[in-house]
Amino acid sequence: MLLPDHSYVKVDSLEDCLERLRENGEKAMIVAGGTDVIFNMRLKLFDPEVVVSLRGLEELEKVEEIADGGLRIGAGARLADLAENPIINSRYPAFADSIRAVASTHIRNMATLGGNICLQTRCAYTNNSEQWREGLKTCYKTDGNICHVLKSSTKCHAINNADTPLALIVLGAVLTIQNTDGSRDVPIAEFYSEDGMDNTMLKPDEVVTFITIPEVTDRTTFLKIAPRAGMDFSIAAVAARCDGSGADVSKVTIVLGSLSTHPIVLDKPARIVSEKGLTDDAIAEAVEQVREELGELTNLFSRTVYKKRMANVIVKRALVALREM
Amino acid sequence: MPAKDALNVIGTRQPRLDGPEKCSGKSIFGDDVVLPGMLCGKILRSSHAHARILSIDTSKAEALPGVKAVITAADSEGIMGTRRGQEPVFCKDITTYKGEEIAAVAALDEVTAEKALRLIEVEYEELPSVENMRRARIKGAPQVHPDKPGNIWSDVVDTYGEPDEAFAEADLIYEEKLNASVTHNLFAEFHVAVVDFSLPDKLTLWTPTQTALLMQHALAPAFGLSISQVQIIHLNTGGAFSGRGGTRPHHYIAALLSRETRRPVKIFAAGDEEFLVCRALGENHYKIRAAVNKDGTLKAFDMDADMDGGAFPAEVGYFGWMAGLCNSWVFPLKGNRLRRRVVMTNTRPHFLGHGGMMLSTNSAIMQLCSKIAKSLDRDPIDFLLQNAIDPGHKGLSGEVFASCGLKECLETVRRESGWEDKYGKLPEYHGIGVGIGAMAAGAKGAFKHDTSAALVKIGEDGFVTVFTGIPDMGQGTHTTMAMIAAEVLGIDANHVQMVAGDTDITPIDIGAFAQRGTIQTGNAVRNAALDARDQLAKNAASLLETSEDNLIFKAGKIFVADAPEKSLDFAKVVYGTLHNDEGRYTMGRGFYNSPLEFKTTSWSFGAQVAEVSIDPEIGQVTVHRVTVAHDLGRTINPLACEGQIDGQVYSAMSQILYEEVLSDDGLYLNPSRLEYKMPRTYEMPEITHHLIETIDPYGPFGAKEIGEGPIVTAGGAIASAVSDALGGMYMHQVPMTPMRILRAIKVKEYLEAAEAAA
Repeated sequence: MLLPDHSYVKVDSLEDCLERLRENGEKAMIVAGGTDVIFNMRLKLFDPEVVVSLRGLEELEKVEEIADGGLRIGAGARLADLAENPIINSRYPAFADSIRAVASTHIRNMATLGGNICLQTRCAYTNNSEQWREGLKTCYKTDGNICHVLKSSTKCHAINNADTPLALIVLGAVLTIQNTDGSRDVPIAEFYSEDGMDNTMLKPDEVVTFITIPEVTDRTTFLKIAPRAGMDFSIAAVAARCDGSGADVSKVTIVLGSLSTHPIVLDKPARIVSEKGLTDDAIAEAVEQVREELGELTNLFSRTVYKKRMANVIVKRALVALREM
Repeated sequence: MPAKDALNVIGTRQPRLDGPEKCSGKSIFGDDVVLPGMLCGKILRSSHAHARILSIDTSKAEALPGVKAVITAADSEGIMGTRRGQEPVFCKDITTYKGEEIAAVAALDEVTAEKALRLIEVEYEELPSVENMRRARIKGAPQVHPDKPGNIWSDVVDTYGEPDEAFAEADLIYEEKLNASVTHNLFAEFHVAVVDFSLPDKLTLWTPTQTALLMQHALAPAFGLSISQVQIIHLNTGGAFSGRGGTRPHHYIAALLSRETRRPVKIFAAGDEEFLVCRALGENHYKIRAAVNKDGTLKAFDMDADMDGGAFPAEVGYFGWMAGLCNSWVFPLKGNRLRRRVVMTNTRPHFLGHGGMMLSTNSAIMQLCSKIAKSLDRDPIDFLLQNAIDPGHKGLSGEVFASCGLKECLETVRRESGWEDKYGKLPEYHGIGVGIGAMAAGAKGAFKHDTSAALVKIGEDGFVTVFTGIPDMGQGTHTTMAMIAAEVLGIDANHVQMVAGDTDITPIDIGAFAQRGTIQTGNAVRNAALDARDQLAKNAASLLETSEDNLIFKAGKIFVADAPEKSLDFAKVVYGTLHNDEGRYTMGRGFYNSPLEFKTTSWSFGAQVAEVSIDPEIGQVTVHRVTVAHDLGRTINPLACEGQIDGQVYSAMSQILYEEVLSDDGLYLNPSRLEYKMPRTYEMPEITHHLIETIDPYGPFGAKEIGEGPIVTAGGAIASAVSDALGGMYMHQVPMTPMRILRAIKVKEYLEAAEAAA
């Protein structure tokens, strides 16, 4: 499988990059680590005319402590470097765990944090070669108007399989998004949409440049269920955060991922444990409520019934883990 | 003083002779072959499971600059796409599975070839299809082939001994079912064929294979050539696992394109295409009955197998019998019956995988044995020991087990695994299970003979070159052959070079399948080395002033047996044999054909104990420890044998717990290394190896096989361990995926609640 025809532009500054994106609009695509974009180009799922490479842009690879105790990470920082970063490991252990949960060592050696945040949604019916897809009618992702996973659906159900955004959401991270007109800051919790097709708010001429994490002293955890101990996308993943100590808490945040088109911030389960504390009974009550907030799950990559059970299991385990911290 | 019978090379831990070459990336595989003027071939595949081809228009593709040929069914008249001949090279009128070959192009480069494929216009009329056996067998179901009513390809009953009588006499009858999913062999080296057929009287094919000979036999008549005019070059074969037993359509297509363009053509299976080209195991459904007496005597098995052969099941049914037969290789049964019904579906043609069907049937049989033992209040190992065969036993279909260490294997794994402290004493959701198995070694039946031949030449410096046709697909057989030659000639294995994998150069060898390599080719190499040694002995005897039968070849020297202080360097004798009046250059010849009438020469036996635990919330199984004892006759290279065991325990675990091709309407949903789940090193259990030597009368130095026995046994051990961890619940499907484990736990809880209520 070969790459489709395209021109490759290696930019030497962020300004240059933004200019290229403005010039080319939807015809352009950004590549950083290339672990996702290049492969999807081979599958002819992405067909950009211009590939704009951010590789080696030092300004986007830095990790800097900021004035109020937080951390500012360049979107081009490699996952392998971030996984080894002492500040991330000591201050944001759940984030560090979520980075190490991504794919394999080889892929983390190339992949970037910005790439994982902007990871395209995945689907068993599209993420295969062009000749393979000819055995199917076109779907939302391939310029058609059905979803193979849920035939009656009016939207695409491809799955957001990224691990790091879950941890970043519970940490309250903010993304800096830039184009030639300027920059805007968006909490990562608001970045994703429920449409598998167009799953982020990023416009064609925009790029995520920085990720800012505020100072967090709360307890946090990240857990992932996958078929294998490495080199796998999650079947379900969770990041959770709470204040207090032991079972005493006043604010709990729980974010589930890899179940549908977008990360799911649980509302009622979080409120139950926030009010009643991390007791066995309250956790059980919270877990009972999880499936109410999962929305429409599909049989994509694993059965719906299994996914719902895993959502419960992983939320329970995360809450117990927080209590034990 | 060197003892005549002591072995110096055999039994030593010899690293692979091709190790440095492999590790440094210097080994040449099929895709590394680049020839002057070579074209890139690409195949257009059917996008429908079942459809009539109304028209194919190749004109636009042909007009594309850089395209040298476009071919379709019309260009392959009279040529079939497999050795057994039922599968066409290109589908002609009606496509019968998604991925079937429709047309092919040869172009100057890959980009042009891919573009050309997209310019071929095919008009289809879709037909109703059957995607699995259940649908294929419904009354009035669409037919895969019009001449096969009910989609039944074949329906055969094999009866050995007196199963009816045995079942009538038996005190107890047990019955269970097990289904096995479609799998893929996932070779390290994808399917590839490079063909140079630019001159009419010579076809040269570079391709990974288990058997060059069968490929010659298939290609020669297809192209009107004589067998020797077809040259097969298989330098290295990146994995085979029983799935590379012959020619596939892409071999013929590459040859047709090369003949048409008069240039060499390479076809390489890209990405998910690999899953369509591969002929791996299809779905199999087994119903197994066992007849047992109250005293624990196993009397008979009766197995009913439905096998999904896919769209062209040519070769599947043939191999089904082994899965039934192997039950009678470990138990002295009164009767054994196997009914095998091969069903056709609109899916990829199926063939074989690692462990064949024996892996899944053994996982069914060993779960059943544990269940029988439990219901008779017996320890499963005691139960198996009571029923295990002894050496000299005569099997129901005429097999004679000349050597057999089955009981010793069982005793070994019981002792070494700490079975008695664990069985029935583990915490909830922890399990321990035992499996036994046997594996036939030898392949009479493909032809009237089972011949391997070898040549040995000895350079004037004493370095030895062995010529063999046996492929090394990773199992290390070339190192084994070098060690056998080195042992016979009394030299270091590192002084032996192997020349293999080119039918123009190497002598006949049926190939590396049916576990025949070590026995048949090993004996051929041994005979060739003995022939060379006899020639050297003549000169050595005269130089040492003794008789030819009073010599010992050991440690790079030739000793006088009854006066060991007298010796000469091996290399000096070789040099002297050439540099004298006779001027003799030493070359040995040898061949071996099994002296037995039965298909198999000898059988390996094994026993394994597996320990597992289950996460009852997620359903994931962890294999912690596997204790392996394998009767391999004689250990030639312990390092390679342990590697074989590790690889097979891995693959058994993978097939019992993970591997499954998922499909929707005949379309494979997980055709990639990412989505076709196989465990990684993190999931590997701790493995202990116990190599049991029983010195078989037929194999070289008493060796049998270790190439496929351990995987079958491991399958049984892991399956019964999972069943034990679930409190004896019988698992009815492999792979035992987390979802299926959770379902079994639910059933278990329901049954326990029902029991408590009663």
